[in-house]
Amino acid sequence: MSGTIEAITGRYLKLELGGRAHRVYFEEAGQGRPVLCLHTAGADTRQWRHLLNDAELTSSNRLVAFDMPWHGKSLPPEGFETEEYLLTTEAYVETVLAMVETLGLERPVLAGCSMGGRIALQLAALHPERFSGFIAIEASDFQPAWYDIDWFHRPDAHGGEMGAALVSANISPHAPEAERWNTQWMFMQSGPGVFRGDLSFYTRDDSLIGRLGDIDTARTPVHLMVGAYDLTCTPEDARRTADAIPGATLAVMDELGHFPMSEHPEGFRPYFLAALARMPDAARRAA
Amino acid sequence: MQARLRAMQARLNGMPHLRRLGRLFSETVLLKVDDAEYYLVFDRGALAAIQCGPSRKTPWRFALTTDAEALEAFWQEKPEPGFHDIFGLVKIGRGRVDGDILTLVKNLRFFKEFMALGREVEEVAA
Repeated sequence: MSGTIEAITGRYLKLELGGRAHRVYFEEAGQGRPVLCLHTAGADTRQWRHLLNDAELTSSNRLVAFDMPWHGKSLPPEGFETEEYLLTTEAYVETVLAMVETLGLERPVLAGCSMGGRIALQLAALHPERFSGFIAIEASDFQPAWYDIDWFHRPDAHGGEMGAALVSANISPHAPEAERWNTQWMFMQSGPGVFRGDLSFYTRDDSLIGRLGDIDTARTPVHLMVGAYDLTCTPEDARRTADAIPGATLAVMDELGHFPMSEHPEGFRPYFLAALARMPDAARRAA
Repeated sequence: MQARLRAMQARLNGMPHLRRLGRLFSETVLLKVDDAEYYLVFDRGALAAIQCGPSRKTPWRFALTTDAEALEAFWQEKPEPGFHDIFGLVKIGRGRVDGDILTLVKNLRFFKEFMALGREVEEVAA
């Protein structure tokens, strides 16, 4: 019996965020055009495992993904035990920009899913000069919660198990069973209150709405992608958002849900390759 | 509908993992389909009884209300978007959850997997 070693490598970096020391975990694979990948609420870098293991993709793209503080292998900051974790647009923007700088990524493509897609659009409006293009997956301007986010952090129930059961509503029935459950496992493992704190950002901060018109897609392309089975960011939500960004493009993925890169890698792959093809190549990025 | 619910009851009995997930779930759930009412009496993860309503004196913890057409769409092997999950039915306006929703959420995986058992008994006449 013999095993195999994947091409993905994982390391840690230390940086200051909000004036506090953080230890952040990141993974990468490939070489060429840098593509920074952002995970959804309540999950971590593992959502990108299939694309980071895609040899054809990584032959010309350097895919990098990191666990947000409090998520996956990234520790919360010192003193977390007395804090209520609530993600904000400002902290999220600072984190992504700090990762770009610390990793020395030269105008990467930014690909984010769900809350990662939301912050990708915020960065498209606020800091486009730091990126070469934006792929916003299951992303929209804003939706209020259709559930009570406080369900997911309470002493008498397991927030991870409840969160996983809830987000299963956003997974396509076409997703392979193994990947459906791999996707839910990350939510089951999420730290107490972390999914809730992410959802606070996702379901309460509507500051993107007024900024969509500021996005200059002639300078940095914006491509949105949405799964037909996504109940949280529906195709209607994504279309409304794309329509508000002059020049933005949109792909509706018929058999996919809210976690397409993780729940149904084969189904998502062609859409992601098509999205990358819309982004500037290395020569144009350098120009 | 009763035949399908009985088939789901039998399937549940044959699924140890689901019985284990529901081991703390002893509640009555009202399933309302159009004007028909079915009181699903769960006891420690088993469906102990299926009582047909309507009834004004049967207490229930939470209720799922939908229509027969939507439920049939939900029970397809590969449901269309919105019909693929009980919260999908709610989101598209074809379902409603009432009562103690927190109890539902605490037992969400169990109840959703129970409801999805209807997908695997399609040979049973409604």
